[in-house]
Amino acid sequence: MITVQNLQKHFKLNKQYRGAWGSVRTLFSREYEVVKAVDDISFEVARGELVGYLGPNGAGKSTTIKMLTGLLVPSGGELAVNGRLPWRDRQAYVARIGAVFGQRTTLWWDLPVIESLELLQHIYHVPNGRFRQNLADFETMLELKPFLNTPVRSLSLGQRMRADLCAALLHDPDLLFLDEPTIGLDVVAKERIRQFIRHVNRERGTTVLLTTHDLSDVQKLCDRVLIIDRGKLLYDGSLDALQTRFGGRRELVVDLAEPYSDVSVAGATVVARENGRVTYQFTREEIGASELIGRLSQRFRIQDLAVREPDIEATVRRIYEERLLEN
Amino acid sequence: MRVFWEMTKRSFQRYLTYRAAALAGLATNFFFGLLRMAILLALYGERPQVAGLTVADVITYSALSQALIGYLSIFGWYDLMNSVYTGEIGSDLLKPLGLMRFWLAQDVGRALVNFLLRGVLIMVAFELVVDLVYPQTAVSWLHVLCTLILGWLVSFGFRFLVNLASFWSPDARGMGRFAFLSATFFCGQLMPIRFFPDWLQGWLQFTPFPAMFNTTIEIYLGTLTGTAVYLALLNQLLWAIGLLLVGQWVLQTAVRRLVIQGG
Repeated sequence: MITVQNLQKHFKLNKQYRGAWGSVRTLFSREYEVVKAVDDISFEVARGELVGYLGPNGAGKSTTIKMLTGLLVPSGGELAVNGRLPWRDRQAYVARIGAVFGQRTTLWWDLPVIESLELLQHIYHVPNGRFRQNLADFETMLELKPFLNTPVRSLSLGQRMRADLCAALLHDPDLLFLDEPTIGLDVVAKERIRQFIRHVNRERGTTVLLTTHDLSDVQKLCDRVLIIDRGKLLYDGSLDALQTRFGGRRELVVDLAEPYSDVSVAGATVVARENGRVTYQFTREEIGASELIGRLSQRFRIQDLAVREPDIEATVRRIYEERLLEN
Repeated sequence: MRVFWEMTKRSFQRYLTYRAAALAGLATNFFFGLLRMAILLALYGERPQVAGLTVADVITYSALSQALIGYLSIFGWYDLMNSVYTGEIGSDLLKPLGLMRFWLAQDVGRALVNFLLRGVLIMVAFELVVDLVYPQTAVSWLHVLCTLILGWLVSFGFRFLVNLASFWSPDARGMGRFAFLSATFFCGQLMPIRFFPDWLQGWLQFTPFPAMFNTTIEIYLGTLTGTAVYLALLNQLLWAIGLLLVGQWVLQTAVRRLVIQGG
């Protein structure tokens, strides 16, 4: 569906000189710096995939998305979506894609939601029957009914996001771009949106490219993630594999019923101990949680215990900060 | 065409939601109109006619020039500029739409609401307090209708072009203010072009400004008659087509620049 090969986008910025004299020099200077926003990226996305696109701010994510949606022309490399070049014939291309940018709405601010949706029907030339069918489906799944006749400016953020998702899908796009679709939403609203995205991907076969900073979105939705930083693609694979490679260790927190002098156990290391509470660390490869618990319960009387999975947020933070993926 | 109509309909609806603002604008325009009438009357003094305009003509001129401010957006229109600066233009480019058609459709709705709420109402209000003149025949009314529509098209073409400057300049608002101020003056909104010195009137023939507003006034007041009316309408039509074509071309260049250099 998406083929990206050695994709590049370079921006020329006029060189800025410092100081009062410098600003005059800037004005006349022909020198510029080249910023490589996207620098030699290659990947493919197959039809029906749901792929997460991650990276810190300024990594080149939105530049990539802009190229994929036809808003920017690449400086080099190849890029084809459905065999088409996105920027070549803008109107024909964008008719087949959908996009939701969480930070802004495509709906008309002063009009009731339904008015915007019906206008989109005409803009995308959706046949009446198909439109009614889609609207009916989305209305139920996204619970749009209570606010279909409310002007967009009076909607809550969660409602607006749901309306925007509906708006992006009414014309049955093959490919859906989601940029921070859950930003600023509460837990319940986030979950509802995730369920909807999953549904659209599985039942309608819509290919989804999801950009987000919310890793739980990615964790719950995406089988595959792409990680980009400083314009380079650093990782292409599953989040689990990333976790096993760089992730912290799993932890088992045990409340012992009686005081013991030696609490060590094979396969795990003690990392904290206060009063009756002991924290062990272990890795998935060495020992399973149930086996570890079995060993412990043979030796000690246990009051309570909890397994803590390593935190994906922390892993990804480490990857960004310590540049673990760069060679 | 269907899409255009649907967009116009919604734009109309949308501007209707700003009723209160339109009515407030109406009140302002009305009182300024009275003020301008008083000044013009003082200038006329004992003279029955100046540059071919009678006292009744010049009163009606003042009323019309206030009534059409909203309809023509004479004092300025920055919507497209704002959408470039806020980045909303990105969402518009993601829709299978011609940008110019999109803005034109929206402007039809805007102009209609302003024509009805500010234009017609203000003329009714003036009619109650001063003596206005009206076209005498059905054919003259038809001419007025044509010149009003063409004048709006010319003004849209001009406003659209001015707004396109935002693709090149990080702050084109100042330039816009200058352009709209010039247009206000040169289209005859502040003072009938007939009152201008001859050399300036001569020069203005080569600009689109008179076609936005002054032509409408001349046809309405009947200072143009016979074939002159049709020539004036043709002149407006040519300016409208010319400005829209240039606008379309500049827009394409602007979008190409945007997608190559980034926003």
